Amino acid sequence: MEAARSRLDIATENLANVSTDGFSRHDARGFLTALGVRVTAVASPTHGALRRTGRPDDLAIVGDGSFRVRDARGRVEHTRAGAFSRDRDGHLRDGADRLLLDAHGRPIVVRGDRSIQARQVGLPAGSTLESGALETSSVDQISEMIDVLTAQRSYEGAEKIVAAIDGTRQKSADDVARLK
Amino acid sequence: MNRALYASASGMAAQQMNLDTISDNLANADVAGFKGATMAFTEIAAPGETGLGTQPLGARTIFAQGKLEKSGGAFDVAIDGPGFFVLDDGHGRRAYSRDGGFARAADGSLRNAQGWQLTGVRIPPDALSVDVDERGSVVAATPRGRQTVGHLSLAEFAAPDGLQHAGGTIFRATPACGAMRLVVPGATDGPSVKFGMLERSNVSIVEAMVQILSAQRAYEANAKGVQAADEMMRIADNLTRG
Repeated sequence: MEAARSRLDIATENLANVSTDGFSRHDARGFLTALGVRVTAVASPTHGALRRTGRPDDLAIVGDGSFRVRDARGRVEHTRAGAFSRDRDGHLRDGADRLLLDAHGRPIVVRGDRSIQARQVGLPAGSTLESGALETSSVDQISEMIDVLTAQRSYEGAEKIVAAIDGTRQKSADDVARLK
Repeated sequence: MNRALYASASGMAAQQMNLDTISDNLANADVAGFKGATMAFTEIAAPGETGLGTQPLGARTIFAQGKLEKSGGAFDVAIDGPGFFVLDDGHGRRAYSRDGGFARAADGSLRNAQGWQLTGVRIPPDALSVDVDERGSVVAATPRGRQTVGHLSLAEFAAPDGLQHAGGTIFRATPACGAMRLVVPGATDGPSVKFGMLERSNVSIVEAMVQILSAQRAYEANAKGVQAADEMMRIADNLTRG
């Protein structure tokens, strides 16, 4: 039952982010342990499709890699969400007001119509940058819906088993009492 | 299950906001100079394997150029390129807009549909016709001959994303958008003004319809998530009853 619950948590979390650009879905991975089945979330390696936005400062990564962004407290994080906008100093900031960093960890400054190159933000070789586009969420709504249903059914199934075990235990307890 | 419940609920709230933004775009698809917006979301990060759903980052205006269209208005102007018309809202505050549908008021000023005045131009009362050239010079033909009656300057900002959307086609400056710069249109790599034309909104109706459909389906999917979590809690409750 615990496994089915985790599976539902993962599927609903994915579903909630079906419109979150740059979101990478989590796969539910089940494995057997001494205490039964355990399900954990693993970041899925699939990338979302590209969507044209008409905003020149939006960046999408084609291939692997991620953007490095720094928040106001100096914490550096990795993200594939490329919805940036230019601030008045020419820095690129994302929706959470984090600065886009270049390959050397310095904030990127854009001037005029100059576009940003893949190596400038430290993307691995083979990856390219598409400006004016965003990577959509990699969540596939249909398979997540199936996961929600599966989780619900296996929860019901597990409940039946618990009830059956409970029933046999109750019966044996009753029988023992009758023997006395 | 609580986690699933709240993640799904956040997804429903997000799709609701998404729908609000798309319907606003659609409602203004025929408004000259209107700029569409798009909602941005981000995952609610949490320690552990997965997050806790999604949260809105806010609406982002798309300043992409709309198509220019010939119009019938006598004082219609369109901007080809970046920049905004500078308006005075009557309370001494500046407002910025790309809606170039102006009308001549009794005092000779050019005013938009809200009655806000376009700065820098005053048409003399005896003007027979008005013309605006690519460089923004407003020339009126009067019985006394042609005379220049004003110049259209366009406002540009270092960070237009910092502008505050004040409803319809109106934007207000904020500290985030940087200082306003007045530019003379018609420069080789700058904006130009087209007289007798209007800029259509940059909203694509077909795209907006598709976005509405997918937002609606995403809303339903998240609602199913709430239902599943609720159902599983019911089952857990029943366990103890036997």
